[in-house]
Amino acid sequence: MKRAALTIIAITLFAQLSCHMQKHSLVLMTDDSYRPRIIATSKTGFGSPDGLLWRNGSIYIADEGSDVMECWSPTSGLKELADSHFGFLSPEDLVMDADGNIFFTDDDAGGVWTIDSRGSPRLLAGKEKGLISTEGIALAPDGSILVGDGEQHEVFRVTRDGAVSEYLGKQYGITKPESMVFDDRGNLYIADNADDVLYLLDGKHELHRIIERRDSFSPETIFFSKGALYITDSHHGKLFMYRPNEELKTIAAFAGELKNVQGITTDDAGNIYVGVQTDLKRRLGDIIEISKERG
Amino acid sequence: MSLNNQLLIAINSVAGRSWLFDNVVAFFRDNDLAKAGVIGCCFLAAWYGGKGANQTARRKILLTTMVAAVFVTGTTKVLSHTIFLPRPEIQSQKIYQLEGDQLVEMGRIPVRVPLDEESQKNYHALLSGDVETNDLGSFPSDHAGFFLVISLGIWLASRRLGWLALGWTVFVILAAKMISAQHTPLDIATGALVAVAELAAFRYAAAREWFDALLDRVSQLTLRHSALSSAFIFAVAFEMSSTLVHVREFLGLLGAVRRHVLGG
Repeated sequence: MKRAALTIIAITLFAQLSCHMQKHSLVLMTDDSYRPRIIATSKTGFGSPDGLLWRNGSIYIADEGSDVMECWSPTSGLKELADSHFGFLSPEDLVMDADGNIFFTDDDAGGVWTIDSRGSPRLLAGKEKGLISTEGIALAPDGSILVGDGEQHEVFRVTRDGAVSEYLGKQYGITKPESMVFDDRGNLYIADNADDVLYLLDGKHELHRIIERRDSFSPETIFFSKGALYITDSHHGKLFMYRPNEELKTIAAFAGELKNVQGITTDDAGNIYVGVQTDLKRRLGDIIEISKERG
Repeated sequence: MSLNNQLLIAINSVAGRSWLFDNVVAFFRDNDLAKAGVIGCCFLAAWYGGKGANQTARRKILLTTMVAAVFVTGTTKVLSHTIFLPRPEIQSQKIYQLEGDQLVEMGRIPVRVPLDEESQKNYHALLSGDVETNDLGSFPSDHAGFFLVISLGIWLASRRLGWLALGWTVFVILAAKMISAQHTPLDIATGALVAVAELAAFRYAAAREWFDALLDRVSQLTLRHSALSSAFIFAVAFEMSSTLVHVREFLGLLGAVRRHVLGG
């Protein structure tokens, strides 16, 4: 009996010392009409996705974990578009114009980078032009590119020939323009995840603080589609939907390894795609599709 | 539906009907003095009770109990990271668990929400996705493990005090947890099993000559240095009564220091 007792103690001690503390991962759907599904993981070849953009059946990925720009689709798999040999370090966010030219930011190397429709990557405007740590990016209706700089606390306009000018200076008080997107009326939404504020810049160039000082809200990436603004929150592991004049609505909460939700995009059918950095150091991540329940 | 869930629903069915009842349950569930203070008092009474050899024997049992309680807390923590069962209140919502590379929908448990302010606040936070991500799992109940091992130790030292501590643990502390749907009967039963097994193991180990001699020596020291040992026992009872919250905070601080200072 004593031997059995000592065995129990020894096993307990061993289990406690050797147990690897793993995180349990959950997705809580606060909107019952949606369901989540993991459509791609790092096993397909990408690292930790940051910015995402759906276009014509493919998802374009600013892969912060592997320092590459990629394109993934369920049918053709993963395709590398450009890697860090071209000089970028940490792709952050991306947009694509109607001609298929991709523009992306880099919060480590700075600048605005582009991959043209033929697949040639190049630096459009770099640090020497004042773009030190670029975060959010948006395509303006006039064809220029708006870029948020997290270290200078400003938003810059970059023309297609690489000319840089100030668009929203420090006086506007945006600390970190982490993500930006235009709505269908030409208003510019700006997510500031340092001050936890969602801004709206209207057509008169007036800046409004739409959501601020709200518990459990820190906008990471924003994407506008069909009258709704979709927002990820990596601090609190949440996916929100915002419509003007309506309350902010939580669609899903992510916990455990899935908490660090980053990029967001939608397809033509209204399915939402969220990039999750499950472990940035180990270059692990997932892409989760959140779609409406059928029937 | 499993027997465990059926039992939980049966116990939880008394919640959400009477504001007064739910508030009384919430008081004994959340108030440290009402909840764990009684156990701490029983422990102190058992520690200082008895005379001569009887007092030494009691202290040896209670010292073993304290060591067992540390192991029980560690074991329930390890189990909670090995087997994951979400809290019933969270499982009342539409949730998906990551299994391998897939998100698998979990069955929903239709639990009733108590009408007290704290439960209502937590429920509305849950509806908007504000979940405490460090506290998603409920298996096994660390409250059951911790308070039962202490109560059983008190029972071994003093039957009267032990019955009071055991009764309080089962009918007040753990019942409130199940009525509020914070734990299922399976969570409680597993915590209890860990408590019984580990206390039994330590009691048997304590019968070994060298262990008994060690306990005897420590017990004598507590009697000889009564002021110092009283201070120590005060700290132990204080932590028992506050459900180890300060120890957990301290361990959390150590973890944060490791991450931020040492870069671990």
